[in-house]
Amino acid sequence: MRKLLPALLAFAILQATLRFKDDSDLARRLRARDPHVMPKLYDRYGRAAYSLIYRVVRDAGAAEDLVQETFLRVWNRAQSFDPERGALGPWILTVARNRAIDHLRSVEGRIAASALELDRIETPALFSSFEDSALTIDRARRLKDAFTKLTPAQKEVIELAYYEGLSQTEMAIRLKQPLGTVKTWVRTALKVLREQLSEAAVAS
Amino acid sequence: MSCDELQDLFELYSLALLEGEERSEVEAHLTRGCETCQKNLKDALAVNAAILASVPQTAPPARLRRRVLAGFGIERPGWGWLGAFAAALMLVVALWLSVQERRRENELADARRDAIQARAERDRLAQAFQILNQPETKRVIFGEGQPSPPRGNIFVHSKLGILLIASNLPALPAGRTYEMWVIPTKAGAPRPAGLFQSDARGSAINLLPVPLDSLYAVAVSVEPEAGSPAPTTTPIIIAPVPVA
Repeated sequence: MRKLLPALLAFAILQATLRFKDDSDLARRLRARDPHVMPKLYDRYGRAAYSLIYRVVRDAGAAEDLVQETFLRVWNRAQSFDPERGALGPWILTVARNRAIDHLRSVEGRIAASALELDRIETPALFSSFEDSALTIDRARRLKDAFTKLTPAQKEVIELAYYEGLSQTEMAIRLKQPLGTVKTWVRTALKVLREQLSEAAVAS
Repeated sequence: MSCDELQDLFELYSLALLEGEERSEVEAHLTRGCETCQKNLKDALAVNAAILASVPQTAPPARLRRRVLAGFGIERPGWGWLGAFAAALMLVVALWLSVQERRRENELADARRDAIQARAERDRLAQAFQILNQPETKRVIFGEGQPSPPRGNIFVHSKLGILLIASNLPALPAGRTYEMWVIPTKAGAPRPAGLFQSDARGSAINLLPVPLDSLYAVAVSVEPEAGSPAPTTTPIIIAPVPVA
């Protein structure tokens, strides 16, 4: 076992580097406005984007429209993406989430964040120098276990933030709880998830 | 507030959910460029990405791939006659089903679609202005002086793509869409260049946001709702584009 471990570790690192390299090639072609990169990009991230958007809007027809909007936006913003250091997956997921939340807000008649506000948080420049960007999806699997460690209230506020786009004030109103209580739930939940995630990173 | 006090706020900040004083504090620290906060922001983005990727995975319908790629002028590999026949048969069944389905769709679904389209439209207009704004953009007029056939302008920029602005388009039968085609050379086969609809007055804008190696003409035909890999009807617009 002791002999096997370094070999496994080396293999894992090699795999991670390969996947990362692969993504930077996609990013480079995306930046060069090569449309033939789109099938590859869609095959790699279409499912994750669709799943996320569907989780938010719960409407297959709207989800399809929003996936299309997501890839168009990624294509149009990729010029400022750093192919060497940028994390394509996290960026695409963020763009997808924002399209879905924007849609949900307009359907529910909530005040939508301004387009500028969403632009700011999904600007490609933010998504550079991730340490292990390509492994995000693998880590997500482990994160599912972390969710079981949250109390129902903590889990609920996380879902309200990520998949419904509610601010803490809006959560307090919806849950009929004092703002302070909501903030404590959010803070504690994020702490648990963050710790689980960094443990997962060490373990991999 | 100190950097440490802000540590738990970056996830919400990156989701555009932070409000008031908390938000302005985070912004101030990031503008100041302090290292701790930059690192905390990166960590938060990684946490967010992992949470966003942890939703139950659902396979999107296969047609979505084709639809997304059609918007970038990508065609799928040819299928041969048998495949084309099978596809046509399936298309007829799918069309029939979708017409049935459509009837049952309620107003709410329509309203949602309108909302998405309005935002997509806003995005497209921004790109359209970008093309219009370039000095090297070439303009081609088609259907000029004719009262009934479609008329309009085509703007071509070799790096930014093709912008079509058309009016007087004939009304579409149910389950049909306009499809734009790029004809790269005189003898070249038309390549799909995006699906679009017109407004109530028969006006439409379609943008193909990809660079062009060569371009001989731009065409538009009426196609089944899911689009076609090659035109199946006589084009309603054929506009030769006299540029390299």
